Amino acid sequence: MTEPGGTALAVEEIVAGYGGGPVLDGVSISARPGTITAVLGANGAGKTTLLRTISGFVRPRHGRVLVGETNLARRRPEDIARAGVAHVPEGQGVITELTVEENLRLGALSRRDRAGRAEALSEAYRRFAVLAERRRRAAGTLSGGERQILVIARALMAAPRVLLLDEPSLGLAPRMVAQVMDLVRQLRDDTGLTVLLVEQNARSALSIADQGLVLNLGKVVAEDDAAALAADVGLRRHYLGF
Amino acid sequence: MQEFIEFTLGGIASGMIYAAIALSLVLIWRGTRVLNYSQGGMAMFTTYVAWLVIRHTGSYWAGFAAALASGLVLGALCERSVVRPTEGRSPLNSVIVTIGLLIFLEGLAGVIYGGQYRSFPAAYSLNGLKIGKFALGISPNDLFTAGAVLAAALALALVFRYTSAGLRLRATAFSPVVARLLGVRIGRVLTLGWALAGLFGALAGVLVTPSTFLYPNSMDSIFVLGFTAAVIGGLDSPGGAVAGGVLLGVVLSYAGGYLGNDLVLLYGLVVLALVLMVRPSGLFSAPRTRRV
Repeated sequence: MTEPGGTALAVEEIVAGYGGGPVLDGVSISARPGTITAVLGANGAGKTTLLRTISGFVRPRHGRVLVGETNLARRRPEDIARAGVAHVPEGQGVITELTVEENLRLGALSRRDRAGRAEALSEAYRRFAVLAERRRRAAGTLSGGERQILVIARALMAAPRVLLLDEPSLGLAPRMVAQVMDLVRQLRDDTGLTVLLVEQNARSALSIADQGLVLNLGKVVAEDDAAALAADVGLRRHYLGF
Repeated sequence: MQEFIEFTLGGIASGMIYAAIALSLVLIWRGTRVLNYSQGGMAMFTTYVAWLVIRHTGSYWAGFAAALASGLVLGALCERSVVRPTEGRSPLNSVIVTIGLLIFLEGLAGVIYGGQYRSFPAAYSLNGLKIGKFALGISPNDLFTAGAVLAAALALALVFRYTSAGLRLRATAFSPVVARLLGVRIGRVLTLGWALAGLFGALAGVLVTPSTFLYPNSMDSIFVLGFTAAVIGGLDSPGGAVAGGVLLGVVLSYAGGYLGNDLVLLYGLVVLALVLMVRPSGLFSAPRTRRV
């Protein structure tokens, strides 16, 4: 099972859903450390459910979620977050009533080392100048693109091992989409973060991903290097729409 | 003129009591969307603890401290034992559980302490203050009451704004799902919220009981007025709870003073109805759209 360099995140034979039939029907993923894995597929394919299962909001009926050596399946969301899995949900999830700085501080509260919290905050401001400028403002006053940067920055505050990104391009202008994708790529290169990137926008996701997989009706129907997926004309026409 | 000042100051003093009860309700409502109907019963119970400690030690302040401490513990205990299992079910379940808790606490107090009315000491003199010949309509103990609630509310505001625990409390109140995603153990945060609510209820109990009497139902009417204050202020807003308490206290004091004391509770309802007609979510609650 173990690939060269090991796996940062392994999902094994996950079956999960919301009461009726399974939304995920035996999905397996293995992501090497420091790579971006694009999770593609149409609406209703199970992409968001996959992330929600990894982060503990959906309890899998079967299967394991391994981060490093630890099986996190069926643990509570807050404990999974503390084990190093940061989930940035679709539709962003900034807490609009809190200030930008409070949102960021909140992201670091699960860290035990107080020095690390302060350092993470100044690191965030160094990397994201736009947040430093607006640190005292209510997060609700930020634009859509700024909010997306804030939630990613907030997720990084906990120094996670795995970042789950759900549709970060949703509702953003094309120029912002390119910026966010660029940011994700930079984070992988600079920090060695392992990213699971769920996207409708398959073309831009594959442009930064190392590998990708395509979900359809809760099953993995294709899995390959990102370049190979992007080059597969049949797959593109059937599942990816570009 | 003198009457007016008397009524105003007296109203503010009793309003601070309603504010303390309102704050305790808001603390729980913000975190859990549960209305704690047992808040008055909890405050009555902790006041009995204070009464017991005062009787044995002879020290008012030992009793005062014991009330606050037992408020913290009782709040946390209630959340962990009976409220926690209703989490994630229909809101009606937790409402019924808190009503059951109220009946239990009042029954238990009757069993332990009996049903007779007992007097409870005040921290300071209950005689009216005067400037020269000019009566102010409030006593030194009223000043202490207002000061104590104000100090506690201020301390709470500082905790909310400047501490990690406060940030967790606010994040959980605004968005529990996001808080959990960021590793906030919201179970502990909710327990903390109930503990703080117990503290504020206990404070209201020891402060108001010198001017009523202590008996198993002694906090019932105070609870109704505190609840009214919380709704007037907007159940989501701690600042609104204090303002709603003071507003209600002053209005009831004018109504009682100028119109007669018989219908004071009814006037409270009138104020509530008027506020709800104009601003259904309370005077101080920021209008907000529910997010999905």
